[in-house]
Amino acid sequence: MLPGWGGGEGARPALTRNQYIARQRESHGRRAVAVLPIHYPKEILTALDLLAVELWGPPGAPRGDAAGRLQSYVCALARNALAFLASGGARAVDGVLFPHTCDSIQGLATLASDFGGWDKASFTFLHPKGPPRESSREYLAAELRSLARALEPLAVRRLDPSRLEWAIRLHREIDESRAALLDARPRLALSDAELYALLRRGEWLWPEDHLAELREARARFPEGPVRPGVPVLVSGYVPEPASFLEVLGRAGAYVAADDYAAVGRRVVRSAPGSADPWQALAARYWAAPPCSTRSADTAGRVRHLTGLLDRSGSRGVILHLVKFCEPELFDAPAIRQAFAARGVPVLVLEGELEAELSAQAATRIEAFAEMLSAGRAA
Amino acid sequence: MILRRARYEVAGRVVGPALAALDAWRRRLRRRGGPPRAGPFGPPLESVRKLKELMAVHYFRGRYADGAVPVAWVTSGFPVEILRPLGFHAVYPENHAALCGVQRIVPALSDAAEAAGYSRDLCSYARTDLGSAFTGRTPAGRLPRPDLLACCTNICQTVLYWYRALAAHFGVPLVLVDTPYVYGEARPHQLRYVRSQLEELVRVAERISGRRAEPEALADVARKAKEGTDLWADCLATGRSRPAPWTGIDGFFHMAPIVALRGTEECNAYYRLLRDELRDRVRRGIGGVREERYRLLWDNLPIWFAVREVATLLAERGFNFVCTSYTNAWAEAGARIDPADLIGSAALSYTHVILNQDLPNRLGILGRLARDYAVDGAVLHSDRSCKPYSIGQVDLKERLAGELGIRVLLLEADHSDPRAWAREQGESRLTAFMESFG
Ligand code: SF4
Ligand code: SF4
Repeated sequence: MLPGWGGGEGARPALTRNQYIARQRESHGRRAVAVLPIHYPKEILTALDLLAVELWGPPGAPRGDAAGRLQSYVCALARNALAFLASGGARAVDGVLFPHTCDSIQGLATLASDFGGWDKASFTFLHPKGPPRESSREYLAAELRSLARALEPLAVRRLDPSRLEWAIRLHREIDESRAALLDARPRLALSDAELYALLRRGEWLWPEDHLAELREARARFPEGPVRPGVPVLVSGYVPEPASFLEVLGRAGAYVAADDYAAVGRRVVRSAPGSADPWQALAARYWAAPPCSTRSADTAGRVRHLTGLLDRSGSRGVILHLVKFCEPELFDAPAIRQAFAARGVPVLVLEGELEAELSAQAATRIEAFAEMLSAGRAA
Repeated sequence: MILRRARYEVAGRVVGPALAALDAWRRRLRRRGGPPRAGPFGPPLESVRKLKELMAVHYFRGRYADGAVPVAWVTSGFPVEILRPLGFHAVYPENHAALCGVQRIVPALSDAAEAAGYSRDLCSYARTDLGSAFTGRTPAGRLPRPDLLACCTNICQTVLYWYRALAAHFGVPLVLVDTPYVYGEARPHQLRYVRSQLEELVRVAERISGRRAEPEALADVARKAKEGTDLWADCLATGRSRPAPWTGIDGFFHMAPIVALRGTEECNAYYRLLRDELRDRVRRGIGGVREERYRLLWDNLPIWFAVREVATLLAERGFNFVCTSYTNAWAEAGARIDPADLIGSAALSYTHVILNQDLPNRLGILGRLARDYAVDGAVLHSDRSCKPYSIGQVDLKERLAGELGIRVLLLEADHSDPRAWAREQGESRLTAFMESFG
């Protein structure tokens, strides 16, 4: 694990995030914006030549003076993010973007920006909740424009529509490559840890650099025979701690289908195109896989997950949740019931973004994998 | 349908009031001849009897509502003024969950929700209500089945997840009013969004009720809601007197009509009665606490299951909660309602409720309350169940203490799940807090 922002950096120990951010600034004059989870129009940042650097925690115990400013019953993500921002962990960036993910991030945005912890620029993206309606479509279009206007002074440039079109095409290509890698998962000669390290570098690399790495990976690891092991569907928030994937692998299972909020849930496979870039951005938002934090309807989410399970041939489901995460915890019963009705085993793992997986969690994963492989043998 | 409607009306106008009167008479009889009420509190409010009757009749009538009139289950911050003229009977699951909290049946109901897979880390109101929906168990006798679920996210996102679960359980439509959180100022496109959703709501509610939302009827309810809010504000304002004629704890119970019956004449009639009684007590120098020595501010929801015990512990030493940010929220919510433009003004008003605004706004409200009510200290209830209300309290504590020079306690509990309340520890923290006043 590299120092600094933590998470998903294991495979290529070339540059730390902070070094990369500095390099981007020196070589390209790019400013950087830290982004809290989950959904945001990255295309706008790219078009404005702003480097997005996502802040998923980082994992580990919150450190520094601000560690106690959020009560222990608030999720670890919000607690860690506040501690990280307030202790200067993100001083390499020039602003922070808080999407409207949940009550905790909503509260964090005002706490850090108004009461101390973050004294540079802050932005919000208050995406609409619920299924698309006439009102929410119009609102989303206006909110996207409003965010772009708010970011322009930081970027020191006006948003050029042709540049936005270019960014939309670029991110579409990234989506296609990420989808191809995720879909080919059972036939790729990459471990879960390696694949996730690659995919999660997209959280902070300049998108063109990320796309180059994705292309390289697809070229270097062509599809081969189906890998041995028990395929599982993982739905959850973020694959942290990274040792979760190693334990899963050691237990003889692998992630055949992914519905992590940080990964698969942000890979848009088919969004209707549009000549108007703003329409295209909105279309992408509505076409994204169902997510609790966008308040997609639960039945639709269950259908999406059962589709993932069927297509991937997964034999079991792991719900990898963050303790106190209301959006995800509210969806969990319907998901469990749907799979139970189909006789699909479900393991619920709840964590607090610990730096390492607990021994108890590791034992439960091993027992689960063992049960699934015994089921296969039978 | 006609028969059911008749039953609903008779329940609300005849049987309910008769049963409530009988119950009140029984209580009086039981009390007669007993020793005079001792303890640290002033004489009980006369209006309490009327309050009990009003709420008992509301719940009693509700038992017969489904099939008679359209029924909507609504969140506490929902613009109910739009539903009333269409004849909806409104049920407030949060109010019902609070009732379950007072009656200490939350663990049993929560167990039912937990057995269905809902985590104990979720808001206890949601767990209580889902448990009640799954088991049919309720202290209200029976809750009418909804035809519509109406949810506004101006208090939290939790209500949306919770109402989605209810929509799946009952198989009924859910209307959402999604209110973008206000950082500084609400932006015009955000207010336009809320307004368009209210217009969509009118169309859905008209379809379900089979009635048209006539402008005059909308304006009439808006007028009543605004008047009710003003009356409630008048009641609360009496707490500025020294001694305060009631306690903040009384306020928690007396807020039920402004939450559940807002926009009705019954609600306003009740608050006229209460206001007059409170003003009379002010004139006569009657306090909510017999010997008011220190005045306190309460922030966040009450601890419903321990509300009396906490208030008593404090009142015994002359401490009174003379104001609370929670009850105050209901005095502010309807203030911007304009009967001439219900939809537009409701968009503005309901977007600007306390929980939908940033922390500087919250600090401003707490500071204003502290000054207006001349408090000596504040208790911030760090409510494990309610993240939107509790996030920021550690900082608020420091700022209130620093900027106003008052003593502030952060008290960890839960608004309705007693399993999250360490009673002895809580009491010793409160005792130490009181001792710090000398
Ligand atoms: S509550 Fe859930 S969605 Fe919100 S910040 Fe925490 S982990 Fe993320
Ligand atoms: S108590 Fe808090 S979290 Fe629960 S419904 Fe009310 S506002 Fe939402």
